[in-house]
Amino acid sequence: MTIVHIACKNLLRKKVRSLLTMFGIALSAWVLISLFGFNAGYESSLNRDIDSLGYQVLVTAKGCPYEAATLMLKGGTGLRYMPQRIADAIAQESEVEAVTAMLMHTVFDPNKGESGGYSAYLGVDPTTFPKMKPFMEFMHGGWFTQPDALEAVLGYEAAELEQREVGDLLLITEKNIEVKVVGVLKRTGTQDDGTIFLPLRTVQQIFGVTDVLTGIGVKLKHEADITRFEEKMYRLPDVQVVTMSQVKQTIMTLVTTAKVIVLSIALIAVLISMTGVMNTVLMSVMERRQELGILKALGATSLDIFMLIWLETFVLCVLGSCFGAVVAVTTSALTDMLVRNILPYAPRGGLMQISMPLVVMTVGTVTGIGLVSGIYPSWQAGRVRPLDAIRSQEE
Amino acid sequence: MHAIRPAMMLGLVLFSVFGMIEGSFAAVGCDLNDPDRDVARLFPGATGYKTIYVSIERRGGPELLKNIEERLGDSFRGIYETIDVPYTIYEIMQGTERIGYIHGVNAKGQYGGIQVFLALDLNGVIQNFYFQKLTSRFGKELRSHNFGAQFIGLSLKDFYHYNVVTGMLDGNSTAARITNPVPEAEADFKATLRAVKKNLILMDEFVYGNRYLHYCMTCRAQERR
Amino acid sequence: MPQQHGQVLTAECVSKLYRRGSEQVAALNDVSLTVNRGEILACVGPSGSGKTTLLNILGCLENPTSGRVKVYEQIIVDEKKRLSEWALTKIRRQVFGYIFQKFYLIPTLTVSENVMLPFVFYRKHDAPADVDSILRFVGIEHRKYHLPVQLSGGEMQRVAIARALVNKPSVLLADEPTGSLDSTRTEEIGELFKQLCRTEGIAIVLVTHNLHFAQIADRIIELRDGKLSRPS
Repeated sequence: MTIVHIACKNLLRKKVRSLLTMFGIALSAWVLISLFGFNAGYESSLNRDIDSLGYQVLVTAKGCPYEAATLMLKGGTGLRYMPQRIADAIAQESEVEAVTAMLMHTVFDPNKGESGGYSAYLGVDPTTFPKMKPFMEFMHGGWFTQPDALEAVLGYEAAELEQREVGDLLLITEKNIEVKVVGVLKRTGTQDDGTIFLPLRTVQQIFGVTDVLTGIGVKLKHEADITRFEEKMYRLPDVQVVTMSQVKQTIMTLVTTAKVIVLSIALIAVLISMTGVMNTVLMSVMERRQELGILKALGATSLDIFMLIWLETFVLCVLGSCFGAVVAVTTSALTDMLVRNILPYAPRGGLMQISMPLVVMTVGTVTGIGLVSGIYPSWQAGRVRPLDAIRSQEE
Repeated sequence: MHAIRPAMMLGLVLFSVFGMIEGSFAAVGCDLNDPDRDVARLFPGATGYKTIYVSIERRGGPELLKNIEERLGDSFRGIYETIDVPYTIYEIMQGTERIGYIHGVNAKGQYGGIQVFLALDLNGVIQNFYFQKLTSRFGKELRSHNFGAQFIGLSLKDFYHYNVVTGMLDGNSTAARITNPVPEAEADFKATLRAVKKNLILMDEFVYGNRYLHYCMTCRAQERR
Repeated sequence: MPQQHGQVLTAECVSKLYRRGSEQVAALNDVSLTVNRGEILACVGPSGSGKTTLLNILGCLENPTSGRVKVYEQIIVDEKKRLSEWALTKIRRQVFGYIFQKFYLIPTLTVSENVMLPFVFYRKHDAPADVDSILRFVGIEHRKYHLPVQLSGGEMQRVAIARALVNKPSVLLADEPTGSLDSTRTEEIGELFKQLCRTEGIAIVLVTHNLHFAQIADRIIELRDGKLSRPS
């Protein structure tokens, strides 16, 4: 028989109370794991969303309209070019994860409207562009078969307007060249919906503008400082920089806010749990003063009694937090669903990311905090004098 | 609460950035690019117009779609000719008096979408014809005045003789006088006639109270209903 | 610490004063006595006469206000000296066994576990054999796996005695050991005490109201208002 054995048997004496205390600890562990799991999941989902925004920086030739709408307002004119080698230079920068080169070209179509109109074609690199836009999904078909194929991929609205489906033909009127539609994208809610994509080399060849670009999409590494990178880009001659740093900043603010809220709630949960543990153990010590006194009379030192009560707290905390961890893991899908319903904006992907280190860390933390809470009651128990037990017998 | 409010606001900002990605969008309709200018040009004498939006889905649902397809003699095809397409009808006014309508539909041409607008009088007779959009090697010929003028004076009654699937016209029909100016543009020509017939049927359903229904030879069942 | 010579416990001019509000009450007043090896000393007297206080002071559970207490030749407390809590614990472990009227068995532990309890704190490893022999000695070996709630009052007191004996004490301090027992069980416990003195040479100090039970003692002292009215 050991002191652990006695501690465990003591816990069994008041089963309901021990269970309720354990349940309280389990609840804290569950809340902590769920909160931190949510925090981790939320952050990584938001990061994934940032990734899915594609490139965060668009470098264009100075004065070149970078939005299709602006281009159309300018009557399809005003495109400016920059040499293709700038894309290679940008790719060498340490902050850069990937770059994709783009060439926009417009043609006049006399049969559009009463007095003609412009059609815009965006030449994209079939190897790098799709990776930059991971959120793009095809409704039908896929990307180009060759880097210089006479093929087109249409954004949803472009396809709708042109009534094009995979296999249909498009006519580049000015050049009288037919291209085959190989893919129609699903809606993205961006200007890509109204875009007709052609392979970059095809656009360069058709319009005779080799080795020039109108835009370079730049995807930065997660840790990169966008502002510093922007400043670097401005040092390049004749380029302008359009960044989405505002969006990233907003997302990061949201992540930080979520973290603060999560930590506040976690702190409250921990405080409640600490108070609960302290209260229960202290109550148990008060009830067993006589018995503790007798143990002392039987030869137990103050340290023995302290250890006995502390062990009881430890067993409660370990069992409670393990149970809480199991509940948190098994109900994570349900929590995910509930949180998703509450949040005004929930990023795509799993909101709960409960990892083994998180579980171990939480069980350890809750147990540690429980043990700290158990110090005072254990110390009180250790101070019980044997005489108290005998006196209370006489009362 | 104070901590949650900015979070919700940020959430809404994010929703506006990402949320619309999976939002719902209506199908594309067919509007005049410059209504003020186009109405005056297509309907000389017009002093104003009102815009009415209708869709088959809201007006009668799948049953109406079935009836329209029966009258057209063809089913709505492709992923863009759907029940929820919004149709814009321009009600043309001369002072306070209504004098006609302008309505356009999208059609699938050989190289792209075709937008066919018709100006109609109060009886559903074509007053003017306009290709707002057409991508074709023979755009010039198809958009010529002579081609469009062939439609003037015709109504839905005449187009019931045109089979949109085979492209055959009953010789006795007035519509038979419409000729294709360029044989190579056959696909766009057929698409145009189908668009005109569809345009007129929709207008008969939406505006004229099906006054041309009894001319439809294939629509006996509907008439009985 | 245990030695073979005569005096095991000595109390010299021991007084204990309590404060009850503004009033000072003398629980013990100038009490002197000795306890010898292998003898039974009974302390009788009416309630509040200071019997339990005397037992607590002799058993190093409580300090006197004045006077001297010695265990064998070691001074536990006098005017100049008072042992530390740790030293007192060591003496309690080595010298004394305690028996209480209400037994104070741990309800969640079996008979043998209750008896073994002191070993847990002494960290001795030869416990099981000792426990078995002591349980046999007090005649309760057959109940070793039972819980206290399954025992009769007499059996529980036997377990309490076994627990007090498990560390082979020199002195057994028993406070109203038969207070919760009927006359038959009281007789049995009396016999057991006498046997302990004879075979083990243990000194027993017992406090009791029961004058009949006190007759098992070699000497009887009587306390009245904290003073010895019948000298030892």
